Amino acid sequence: MTGAPAALAVRDVTVRFAGLTALDAVSFTVEPGSVHAVIGPNGAGKSTTFNVLSGVYRATSGSVRLGTTELTGLAPHRIAALGVARTFQNLALPPHATVAESLMLGRHRLTRAGFVAAGLRLPSAAREARLHRDRVREIAGFIGLGEELEKPAGTLPYGTQKLVELGRALCMEPQVLLLDEPVAGMTSDERRRVAAVVADVRDGLGISVVLVEHDMGVVMRLADAVTVLDFGRRIAGGTPAEVQNDPAVVQAYLGTDA
Amino acid sequence: MSEATTDGAAAPGPGRPLTAGLRRPRTHLRLAGALLLLALPFYLDRFWLQAGLFAMAAAIGAIGLNLLTGSTGQLSMGHAFFLAVGAYGYCVLAGESSTQNGHALSGLGLPTWLAAVLAVLLAGAAGGLFSPIAGRLRGAYLGIATLALIFIGQHVLFNAGSLTGGFNGRPVPPFSLFGFTFDDTETVVAAVPFHSFEKLWYAALPALAVSAYFARGVLRGRPGRALNAIRDHRIAAGVTGVPVARYRAGVFVLSSMYAGLAGVLLALVFQRTVPEYFGMVLSLEYLAMIVIGGLGSVAGAVVGAAFVSLLPQVLTHYSDSLPLVSAPGTGGVAPGEASRYLYGAAVVAVVLFLPGGLTRPKKPGENR
Repeated sequence: MTGAPAALAVRDVTVRFAGLTALDAVSFTVEPGSVHAVIGPNGAGKSTTFNVLSGVYRATSGSVRLGTTELTGLAPHRIAALGVARTFQNLALPPHATVAESLMLGRHRLTRAGFVAAGLRLPSAAREARLHRDRVREIAGFIGLGEELEKPAGTLPYGTQKLVELGRALCMEPQVLLLDEPVAGMTSDERRRVAAVVADVRDGLGISVVLVEHDMGVVMRLADAVTVLDFGRRIAGGTPAEVQNDPAVVQAYLGTDA
Repeated sequence: MSEATTDGAAAPGPGRPLTAGLRRPRTHLRLAGALLLLALPFYLDRFWLQAGLFAMAAAIGAIGLNLLTGSTGQLSMGHAFFLAVGAYGYCVLAGESSTQNGHALSGLGLPTWLAAVLAVLLAGAAGGLFSPIAGRLRGAYLGIATLALIFIGQHVLFNAGSLTGGFNGRPVPPFSLFGFTFDDTETVVAAVPFHSFEKLWYAALPALAVSAYFARGVLRGRPGRALNAIRDHRIAAGVTGVPVARYRAGVFVLSSMYAGLAGVLLALVFQRTVPEYFGMVLSLEYLAMIVIGGLGSVAGAVVGAAFVSLLPQVLTHYSDSLPLVSAPGTGGVAPGEASRYLYGAAVVAVVLFLPGGLTRPKKPGENR
């Protein structure tokens, strides 16, 4: 939407909560159109990283840039407006709303209708809604949710709900997609389906994907680059193969002097 | 042959063209309901008309509060304040300057329709003044902050004598539109004498219809999705591109305007505004309405408003014929008392057995 895809550069980001340092001078760069995985044991700072990238937390120091735009210090909705979308580790979907309504929320930043236009049902609002419902249907088809559009999200299986959340993020037409454990708690069929969607998103739409995931199979298959965090520090980075054989990574996962 | 019959039965299939709406029983019900409401002033006596008018005014106020509390999850204890702004705003804007009981009452003497519109805008502006706070605080915290509005409001209403008339209140100038005045002079329509209540009925009904229509449009459209997202998952709403603070502030202003309109109507029905009416209990009553009727929907607000404002009146009206009540002063349960017990029991029963409200009989979590 905004011309050439831009790299997401994280530089020396530090986050402190009172005495606790959740992230300590973490740096990495997400190349445009790549899948970049952020991995690490529990408590390594992966979710904190996502919260900084999406503006939910404010970094104590350091910078996050999308292309030439500084993201640190911006409110979440401003970062969203620049084309950064995310999903949540635990579902953040209203259970009663239909899938179509949830996906339409993703169109919020691309639509205009305000209180007056919606309240009076102005023709402009109706036209806009129609146009964007069509696009939502298209995106739902793309990720295989075409049949579920009119169902309340809460009635769908867990894996499908996670897919709906991914769909909502895609409906924002993002440049960068942040996925927080997209396959956690899924059956192997659902995992394959999500992995295929993520690959399609990268290859078909040219969207950069940042992936936090514990499922190493998915990470190794999908990721173009991996950053490993442990206790808030970046301990390794590189291609999946490089990272897999890095002694520091093995130590972090399996412990010292095992 | 058998094929032909199955074809005929299958014809009204799943496709939903616009004309199908006219054949749905729901549309018929709505039409019948509207006609019934329009015909009521020809049949009802003054007591019922007044009760109905209160219910309609309350419904408008409750729709506003439900936008804020039910749909956005922002608690407000200050709804009565905005009702007061609407009611007194109308009186000041439409009333003439006069002297009453030794008090000088100031008024601008504007045309009453203009005063009504401005009173609603004034309530909105009052909400706008509070919106920097309303945008920053969430849920119950906003509820506590809005308590301050009640105290400020009560203080001003009792003490700004030249505007509000102090504790005696001030008279409400009758509403007029296109040269037709909704006052107590008798107008005979189809052999039925019309006084102020009959006339006001035809002002309140369209006001309620427009209010409900507007709110429904807001809720079903883009702003409604944003508001619900803020209620259901604030952080997700933000990262999905919803400016959370701006929407909280915006819905606060909108809900204040609904309260303002309800205040204007209430004033017109009362024909005199008095300060103690606009206290904390009124705010709580509005909260009770939306909880009892159903949070987050227009229908819920309307049904809840009807329940809360009609039931006590109905119970009081018929309390003489309730079993086990005795005449006041004879030692038993007096009719007025009995009606209050019953009302309390009904409120508890609804909240206990219909947690989703009267308009949503199924439990939350079930398929709607």
